[in-house]
Amino acid sequence: MRVEKSIRVVNKLGLHTRAAAKLVKLCAGFGSSVSLCNGQRTADAKSIMSVMMLAASQGTDLELAVDGDDAEEAARKIAYLFENCFEEDE
Amino acid sequence: MFTLHGTGVGFGIAIGPARLIRRPGQEVPEYGIPPEQVEDEVRRLHDGVRSAIECLSVYYEQIWRESTEEVHAILDAHLLMMKDPMLTRESASIIRERQINAEYALQIHSEDLEAIFRNMDDPYMRGKADDVAQVIGRIQDELLGQHAGQSSLEGIVEGEIIVTHDLMPADTIDFKKYRVGAFLTNLGGPISHTAILARSMQIPAIVGLHEGIRYLKTGDMLVIDGKRGVVLVDPDEAALDVYRKRAEKIERAHQALDAIVDKPATTLDGHSVALTANIEFAEEIVESIARNAEGIGLYRTESLFMNRKEFPDEEEQFGIYSTLLGKTGRPVTIRTLDLGADKQVDGGRQSMSPATNPALGRRAIRLCLHDLTLFKPQLRALYRASVHGELRIMIPMISNLEELDQLFVLLGEIRDELEAGGLPFRPDIPIGGMIEVPAAAVAADLFARRLDFLSIGTNDLIQYTLAIDRIDDEVNYLYDPLHPSILRLIKSVIDAGNAAGIPVSMCGEMAGDAAYTRILLAMGLRELSMDPAVIPQVKQKIRLTDIGKIEPMVGELLSAGDSGRYRELIERIEI
Repeated sequence: MRVEKSIRVVNKLGLHTRAAAKLVKLCAGFGSSVSLCNGQRTADAKSIMSVMMLAASQGTDLELAVDGDDAEEAARKIAYLFENCFEEDE
Repeated sequence: MFTLHGTGVGFGIAIGPARLIRRPGQEVPEYGIPPEQVEDEVRRLHDGVRSAIECLSVYYEQIWRESTEEVHAILDAHLLMMKDPMLTRESASIIRERQINAEYALQIHSEDLEAIFRNMDDPYMRGKADDVAQVIGRIQDELLGQHAGQSSLEGIVEGEIIVTHDLMPADTIDFKKYRVGAFLTNLGGPISHTAILARSMQIPAIVGLHEGIRYLKTGDMLVIDGKRGVVLVDPDEAALDVYRKRAEKIERAHQALDAIVDKPATTLDGHSVALTANIEFAEEIVESIARNAEGIGLYRTESLFMNRKEFPDEEEQFGIYSTLLGKTGRPVTIRTLDLGADKQVDGGRQSMSPATNPALGRRAIRLCLHDLTLFKPQLRALYRASVHGELRIMIPMISNLEELDQLFVLLGEIRDELEAGGLPFRPDIPIGGMIEVPAAAVAADLFARRLDFLSIGTNDLIQYTLAIDRIDDEVNYLYDPLHPSILRLIKSVIDAGNAAGIPVSMCGEMAGDAAYTRILLAMGLRELSMDPAVIPQVKQKIRLTDIGKIEPMVGELLSAGDSGRYRELIERIEI
């Protein structure tokens, strides 16, 4: 199964190192492959270095693509993490 | 075998293996790898990454409880970065393509990544560059044999030669515990902290190697010639032989000095000179007494405040000062806090903003009068400890008479408080000033009228008077204790003290250098305070000096307009 979804970076600090770490840890729990694209670059969301290389500051729109059996659950939880500003105080 | 050249300081010759100590931001060594060993080097990289992960995990567990969630998040991220194959894949290809060592390949990769992050538009994204540098730095430390989360000095073996970018004052606290063979640093000059430390440990050091240490790696066999400023790397047997013999000869000359320890520091014409010790740690009292110091001429209190989270309170300081006075059993001059400038503290209350020029900033007495929560407990502790021995209090960096006004009001308050609280103290502790700012030296007569003694601090006095940053190795060739301006200032401070009827001593590095002993005696100094290690050398020079013969030359020396004649007079006095 493949799920595609547009998500926006809403937190002030953007996809900085610690936020990237949370995303990568979350994705590691799923069997599906997860990618994020900012229009220029596609990042493997299970590799922190790859996610860090994605310049994703506040307001950036990203295309999320999840492939695999648990794609739906994964996409939902990933979108939730972004919406909740990576559970960090702003 | 090849050689490196720098400024030689300290004593004699050292032979031993190199031990690299890396500081954040410091260069890693760079060397080529033969084609057939390239795959081994790649394996070395992966091993380094594995042990860095292990070390960081252990460290993480250790600090888990007492650290905040934010720290957890950072360490989580760093561990993930280390475990990400993408981080090392690129470094491995750099090793293969360029045939260079793993540390340097990581450095190239790190700088590339940092450049990408620093060029991102959003300033928050740039913070990633620091994370990359830290993570790669930890892996480099592992490869260089240093373990993350530990003191970089752990595991140092006696006789090893410490190779590092620069030593900080705080390092001196650590290094004194290890019997290292020598120091090599990129930065520094003849009176940098490295040089002072080397002299006090009686070991050689070569400073100002510029980027020379990049050619060295841990384990390289080195010969250090402190007198000539030469490092021999991987010496052959013939060279080793020559240097071993020279080292033995120096050692024998050194032992000969031990014979004069019990003899008085009296000149040929019968003037006696008081030789006292500069110390930083209470443990040094033993050595000072062994060298027959007549007392402690300078006890620096900064180390009590450095390398710790909380400043020591009045009770702790009271305990330390009382023990020091009791154990010494001779006069002890304690200098109040000389923090600021190149001596910053880690923990503590005041946030010290990075001043444009810390040497000219709010330091020493300026900082103390500004922050009484720092100063008052120290002064109270000193007054209370005064009943345990013969104490003198010295105020560093005094430059202004108003500072004395404030100080005396404060001391009066403290005496009143102690009296009201029924705590015993000596009300008449001699209060002296350290004369190290040219303003105080020029107006020494004004300060002398209000103080009980003066002590000349030559390190700062020279740096301020000649406008030379003592840690800047590009200008330290201009550092000259015999510059006519310096000798004139010293002479005028001595004269001011004599006119006011108060003692004048000297506690800077100049006092401990036997090359200047005679000129200081000729100008009238009779108390010199120095590192206890050099007392025998200076004493030997004193015992061979006839003040009556050199004193008449001082007048002409201080007004000599011709530099040739000036040097000639200096030579006639000193040799």
